[in-house]
Amino acid sequence: MSDALLEVEGLTAGYGEVQVLWGLSLTALRGRLTTLVGANGAGKTTTLRAVLGTIAPWSGRIMFQGEDVTRLPAHVKATRGLVLVPEGRQLFSNMTVDENLEMGAFAKRGAHGYSDRLERVFTLFPRLKERRRQKAGTFSGGEQQMLAIARGLMTDPEILIIDELSWGLAPLSVYQLFGALKTLKDAGLTVLLVEQNVHLAFAVSDYAYVIAEGRLFTQGPPSSLAAMPEIRRAYLGL
Amino acid sequence: MDGVLIGSVYGLAAMGLTLIWGVMNVVNLTHGAAIVAGMFALYLLTSGIDMPPYAALPLILVGGFLIGVALYWIAVHRMIGRPPLMILLSTFSVNLVVIGLGTAVWGTGLFNVAVALPGVTWRRYTFSGTHILAAVLTAIIAGSLYLFLYHTRLGKAVRAVANNREAAELVGIPTTRVLSLSFGLGVALAGAAGMLIATMFPFTVLSGDAYQLKSFVVTALGGLGNPAGALVGGVALGLVEGFAAQFMPVSWTLVIEFVLFVVVLIIFPRGVFAFKRS
Ligand SMILES: Nc1ncnc2c1ncn2[C@@H]1O[C@H](COP(=O)(O)OP(=O)(O)OP(=O)(O)O)[C@@H](O)[C@H]1O
Ligand SMILES: [Mg+2]
Repeated sequence: MSDALLEVEGLTAGYGEVQVLWGLSLTALRGRLTTLVGANGAGKTTTLRAVLGTIAPWSGRIMFQGEDVTRLPAHVKATRGLVLVPEGRQLFSNMTVDENLEMGAFAKRGAHGYSDRLERVFTLFPRLKERRRQKAGTFSGGEQQMLAIARGLMTDPEILIIDELSWGLAPLSVYQLFGALKTLKDAGLTVLLVEQNVHLAFAVSDYAYVIAEGRLFTQGPPSSLAAMPEIRRAYLGL
Repeated sequence: MDGVLIGSVYGLAAMGLTLIWGVMNVVNLTHGAAIVAGMFALYLLTSGIDMPPYAALPLILVGGFLIGVALYWIAVHRMIGRPPLMILLSTFSVNLVVIGLGTAVWGTGLFNVAVALPGVTWRRYTFSGTHILAAVLTAIIAGSLYLFLYHTRLGKAVRAVANNREAAELVGIPTTRVLSLSFGLGVALAGAAGMLIATMFPFTVLSGDAYQLKSFVVTALGGLGNPAGALVGGVALGLVEGFAAQFMPVSWTLVIEFVLFVVVLIIFPRGVFAFKRS
């Protein structure tokens, strides 16, 4: 697979003595939207943390753009374009929209072409433009998620990894955010999405991984996964 | 009121303490030692190489910063993310070493740096020149800190790390380096405050504890982790001191301050002048 942008091979990780991931492998292809689904506590967030390096992987390898980045600290990964929109948004709540976006572009790659990218982000999320000087902590859940994605985009990502796009949001916001995601995908952005709403996730993604208890359960194009009885029952509620 | 002038310098010292707390949730017990180091740096530079007193300030700021960065790597870095007691112990032991060395070299006698500055008389009040200049320099340093934190990329990164360290790391901010830089800034502020205090009052190697306590009272008043609140809290403390001095001997000020500290902590656990933080 020559167009693999991110490859995770045999990843194991955990917290303290507790092992959560038991040898997980997955690949995100360039220009595609890849989804990772799984029940609560399956280890999706832990996978992303270990990939980004906010927790140290126990073993396994993370290849990004053909290079081994397993042991690089998270801030270095960000400067290479491996960007995470974390679970629960994790905005700089005491800082304004403008400041959050400026921090998104802290790395050199983000500083380059800053104003053009800012315009594009505001075109995608006009709501943010109206509130540039407002503090992020005062926002509704949907606006916070918009800002979190916008902040990630300001880094000029090679791949944008999003943990729980729809988490805790009203249906209208979920609809808007998935619309924005579709726009980004159509513009050629590589995305790795973790999502509870499997219906929506499958509708936008090119390829999906299903994990259970820290192991890969199955993988494939969403259409074929959606045809599997155990997936229909466990994740699609059918 | 003279209390405002002196109090602003207390505020400057407390700003150093509160900045470190705000960025990394560390109570820095080397704070008092840093204040004393500022005092003695002024003494050495003026008496040793005849430097004009206020020319020592930039040197002390830069030196304090570098020492603070080094201290971070020596005494703080490995304790981040460990139980808070570990950091208290490790910074406290640095404090003991510094004070111990200071006592060995200079003893515990009183030192004084003579600064000749004419005072200013306004109506029936006379303000000493050193107090006025100390307050002016404090305002300049505090203003510069504000400009740094709110109008430079690096300063905003400091606030971002204070606000959410993991998110800061994820946007590409080298957060560990930002922590060491913030510790350096905190120590530089403490050193500068010590230097300015030494232009106003005599001091000993052991003065640090009293001023460290003042810094704690000021942060209790101004709200932990809030540099602007520290300045207001400092002025408030200066006023209280000036007021108390009219009714009781100076030796009682520490007692008053400690009582004030406890009372404030009980009644306003988040600070009297704490600005609303989201
Ligand atoms: N900081 C932590 N310390 C200890 N254990 C943790 C920590 N974070 C998560 N865990 C545990 O690791 C396991 C996997 O959690 P993880 O957050 O990766 O799941 P997830 O698939 O993201 O679930 P969710 O859908 O709830 O977000 C869970 O059993 C959880 O309790
Ligand atoms: Mg999760």
